Amino acid sequence: MTDTFHKAIRIAQANPTLQAALDANMERRLAVREQAMTSLPEDFETMRQRLHEVKTRTIARLDEYLEQFVARAQANGMIVHHAADATQATRIVIDICQQNNARLVAKSKSMVSEEIELNHALESAGLRVVETDLGEYIVQLRHEKPAHIISPAVHLRRDDVGRLFQEKLGTPYTEDIPTLVAIAREKLRQVFLEADMGISGVNAGVAETGTLCIVTNEGNARMVTTLPRVHIAVMGIERLVPTLADLALVLHLLPRSATGQKISVYNTLINGPRRPGDPDGPQRRHLILVDNGRSALRGTPLEEALLCIRCGACLNACPVYREMGGHAYVSQRGEISPYPGPIGSILAPGLLGQSEFGHLARASSLCGACKEVCPAGIDLPKLLLRVRAGGKKIETQRTPEKVPFFLAAGLRLFTWIATRPGWFHMAQKLAGLTSSLASLGGSWLRLPAFSGWGYSKDFPCPADRPFRELWPAVLDSQAGIPTREPPAPREITGDQPVIPVSTLTESLVERFEAELTALGGDFSMCAEGELARRLVEFLRKRKIEALQAWEAAYLPGDGHKLLDALKEAGIRITHQADPSIKAGLTGALAGIAASGTLLLPGGAGRPLAASLLPEIHLAVVHSDQMLPNLEQALALMEVRESAALALVTGPSRTADIEMALTIGVHGPKEIQVFCIENQG
Amino acid sequence: MPKTVQLFVTCIIDTLYPQTGEAVVRILNRLGLQVEFPAGQTCCGQPAFNAGMRQQARQMAIHTIRTLESAPGDIVIPSGSCCAMMRHSYPELFADDPEWLPRARALGERCFEFSEYLVDVLGMTELGARFPGKVAYHSSCHLLRELGVDRQPRLLLENIQETKLVELPHTQECCGFGGVFSVEHPELSAAMLERKIANIEASGAEAVVACDAGCITNINGGLHRRGKIPCAVHIAELLDKVEPA
Repeated sequence: MTDTFHKAIRIAQANPTLQAALDANMERRLAVREQAMTSLPEDFETMRQRLHEVKTRTIARLDEYLEQFVARAQANGMIVHHAADATQATRIVIDICQQNNARLVAKSKSMVSEEIELNHALESAGLRVVETDLGEYIVQLRHEKPAHIISPAVHLRRDDVGRLFQEKLGTPYTEDIPTLVAIAREKLRQVFLEADMGISGVNAGVAETGTLCIVTNEGNARMVTTLPRVHIAVMGIERLVPTLADLALVLHLLPRSATGQKISVYNTLINGPRRPGDPDGPQRRHLILVDNGRSALRGTPLEEALLCIRCGACLNACPVYREMGGHAYVSQRGEISPYPGPIGSILAPGLLGQSEFGHLARASSLCGACKEVCPAGIDLPKLLLRVRAGGKKIETQRTPEKVPFFLAAGLRLFTWIATRPGWFHMAQKLAGLTSSLASLGGSWLRLPAFSGWGYSKDFPCPADRPFRELWPAVLDSQAGIPTREPPAPREITGDQPVIPVSTLTESLVERFEAELTALGGDFSMCAEGELARRLVEFLRKRKIEALQAWEAAYLPGDGHKLLDALKEAGIRITHQADPSIKAGLTGALAGIAASGTLLLPGGAGRPLAASLLPEIHLAVVHSDQMLPNLEQALALMEVRESAALALVTGPSRTADIEMALTIGVHGPKEIQVFCIENQG
Repeated sequence: MPKTVQLFVTCIIDTLYPQTGEAVVRILNRLGLQVEFPAGQTCCGQPAFNAGMRQQARQMAIHTIRTLESAPGDIVIPSGSCCAMMRHSYPELFADDPEWLPRARALGERCFEFSEYLVDVLGMTELGARFPGKVAYHSSCHLLRELGVDRQPRLLLENIQETKLVELPHTQECCGFGGVFSVEHPELSAAMLERKIANIEASGAEAVVACDAGCITNINGGLHRRGKIPCAVHIAELLDKVEPA
């Protein structure tokens, strides 16, 4: 128990703005999570059990999977580095930056980079690092740490952000969230375009293909992994899954658990750097595999914490996080833990040190709300109890270091007494007598605040005669009592799980349309011969005269005819990224009906920037390209073969300020899908 | 011969609420069961276990296993968290102990929380109790999440004559007890309790029923400190309200 920790808790509790924000966070996040779980292809229990098994197997055979993953990634052209600890990891990043003469680094959100304190290291080396996730950008401007795994600025309100932007960016004060988002978009757009280096985390690495998957809603991870000439991905070694099918499982559970979305807006899939002839993508991609205590956690009582997929659901469900917020999870020395909440109270002691962070696990009522929502099926209360008992090495012969002195002494005495029933009875009598005197014959004791219990509640006086003393009389009263035959024992039955049927009743196209439009995207059917006219109409209405488009060969149908028709109508067509262009035109590799998602490959003739930089994304897809679900899309060969791909679901969005949904952050604000009905 | 069950009364009920223990015995008697109270029982060891003191927790667990394993039949425990401790945490405590692990497991299989025993084992949901009033049910954390027991106490309460069961808002939220947590982190515990009390008041219930004496002590202690009527009661006390024969 540390005074620093208690002080941090009291400060958080005394902050009404923070308390209101935390209440709102819990209420909203839990409600949308529950709603989102109803759309899972199978029931939550079945799917999380499967993820638990997949991740457990991965951790058990981590060396093999890592070897396979590294071999694939290298074959794909990735430059792979291994970092044993934070110092090595930051050193490698700095070296890469220096070798590439980088000055400005655009960074997308990454928890492992918080863990290794990467920003601090880069700044000390003279680099300028800009966080590009809106929430992270806000906390970086405030010189703070993120207060939540997925909502870094959960502790702030719109007026805080308005004042911050006024002070740091010189923009006029506003409390209008769309305006604040627009300010950030403009400032960060410059960073994306000028950065020499993009740094991202990795949500999951796929061993069988060497693929990295990065999940965002705003589009910043797409930016930092597409625009700068060098990309560095920093990944904890435990974030592996064996196969692309396993990745689909993660992608079903992660966004539903985190933000209550069926799928995040952007799932970036990266296999390698730009290839000869590719229109965009970084020249070099580095992957840094960070250990930093993870290997040492394997085979210990805390190993299960390595199953975590960093969704933050346990924070949202935790009544203690709701009181403390992320910044009160402090080390013995008062440093804020990179990982707050229930999982943080296991990961921080497990990875960063039991003596520095072990006390965090004591701030839990062990209510199990975290375990109930964990998509990886981690038994968090069990692990919190193990941290309390010593962590990686459970103490069975002596009292572990974090037990407060008086509590330990009291429990040792209690154990001595309670293993001796005669003494126990005497102690009960003594307690009854003393409390009767202390309460002046009343039935409640008012204990002092320092006792802990007396801080907010009274204690009932023990009974004059404990149950064991009443027992002989109770036993006598039972003589001859049975008035009827004991009921026949019954089979113990649990509630039967309901498995929702996931077969589509409507056509794939109809489902795609319904899903996409629910997210604010536009969808229309279109005959192939009409497409050019429809596009021209749309662009004229918006007064758009230029398009960044995929090359003709890659557009569906007769692309040459389409682009020629657009040119004839006075639309300038370019295939190069151009920040001044307002609309992008792409085809798609596939549409995913279950979530209204487009699978967009990069590579020759298919600039990824066309679906990213412009404010409006126009996509053309054939009705026969529609696939029912994510699993089928990820099974397409191009997913393994393209240097990079994006799964795009609706317009770019954020909810980083007061959880207010705002459309159009870094990626397009509008997405318009034209679906060409196939003939025959 | 009537069937015999063993009562593990728990240290809290033994010391603070012996009348709850008596109610449990009367209810089981009415169902035709003979109740035995294995002598020497004290505490399951949960406080030491929650504090991280495994050495002491093991001592308590060994004491409890020894006391109960010589008594035959099902063990009824009027507390969700103590039952969860014996069913799930004893095997954790003795995971590396070939002597005690099987004995811990064998004991765990015989342990039933009181409402779970009535409904799932005995198949009884209607006990002839009558209590005119509005009651709300508080879902105790370990009962709900470790034992998966929630439907059972609700069924029992629904079948009490003249009782109107109202929903306690956010009934699944922890009351802030958490054993040693409530003394180590009194500020956090207090805030959680504050919310629970607000929800109890919002429910309009005259009594809040729970199956765990820890929650009852916490909730009533908070109500009393605030000058309010301690209205949390153990389910056995309500189920015991039967018309005299």
